[in-house]
Amino acid sequence: MNKKGTILLLSGEMDKALAAFIIATGFAALGVEMKMWFMIWGHNCLKKRRGLFSWRRKPDPAREGTYRDLETDNILQPMVEMINRGGANHLPLSQLNLMGLGPKLFAKMLKKKKISSLEELIKDADDLGVKFIICQICCDALGLSVDDLIVPNAEVKGVSAYMKDTMDAHVNLFI
Amino acid sequence: MAPDKVIDVTGKVCPLPLITLAKEVRKMQKGQLLCIIGDDPIFEQSVVDFCREGSHEVLEINREGKKVIFTFSI
Repeated sequence: MNKKGTILLLSGEMDKALAAFIIATGFAALGVEMKMWFMIWGHNCLKKRRGLFSWRRKPDPAREGTYRDLETDNILQPMVEMINRGGANHLPLSQLNLMGLGPKLFAKMLKKKKISSLEELIKDADDLGVKFIICQICCDALGLSVDDLIVPNAEVKGVSAYMKDTMDAHVNLFI
Repeated sequence: MAPDKVIDVTGKVCPLPLITLAKEVRKMQKGQLLCIIGDDPIFEQSVVDFCREGSHEVLEINREGKKVIFTFSI
């Protein structure tokens, strides 16, 4: 039987996402079948950096309507989208964020040490066949569209699928 | 024996040597020989673990200063 692993990324901070993706890519390279789940702020690293006015875009019922309940949306979803613009290389740090200076210094340190940036690691994870799954209620509550992510094949699923995947796996990490 | 492919991951750090290695191995066929050169402090252990996990036979390990040169069969 193939070795399997799951990682649930809940945090939207760069350091935690980096840890999750280093583990995922390393395990996948060693032949472990990896699935990554994204909840709440975790999906921010998969989002393409949103523009200042992207919140004005209307959701498409034919696509987003298949995994979201658009009728219960209100002003809060576009507001979250406006403030929470995501982008793998624009995430804050969980420690020493220094009002936005921390991530820039951190990125410099990583570059000097030739460590991959988060975006490069996400693309490597995708190349190695890591599966990306986003929590359905998080998409709905936060008004997230999975059409505009840096990985093309992200799926939207619920807790029953997470239960099956984790029970099947040899390791499950919650970050 | 001359390797079918040589990859140089000198200067790359964990987990990049493993990622590069996994991508290259997937493109190759069983029985071919791959040579990988790296100088990361944990490079040697990473490749040993990679070969054990994928049941690849390590044929040769050479050390030249910081550099470690592995040859193994796919």
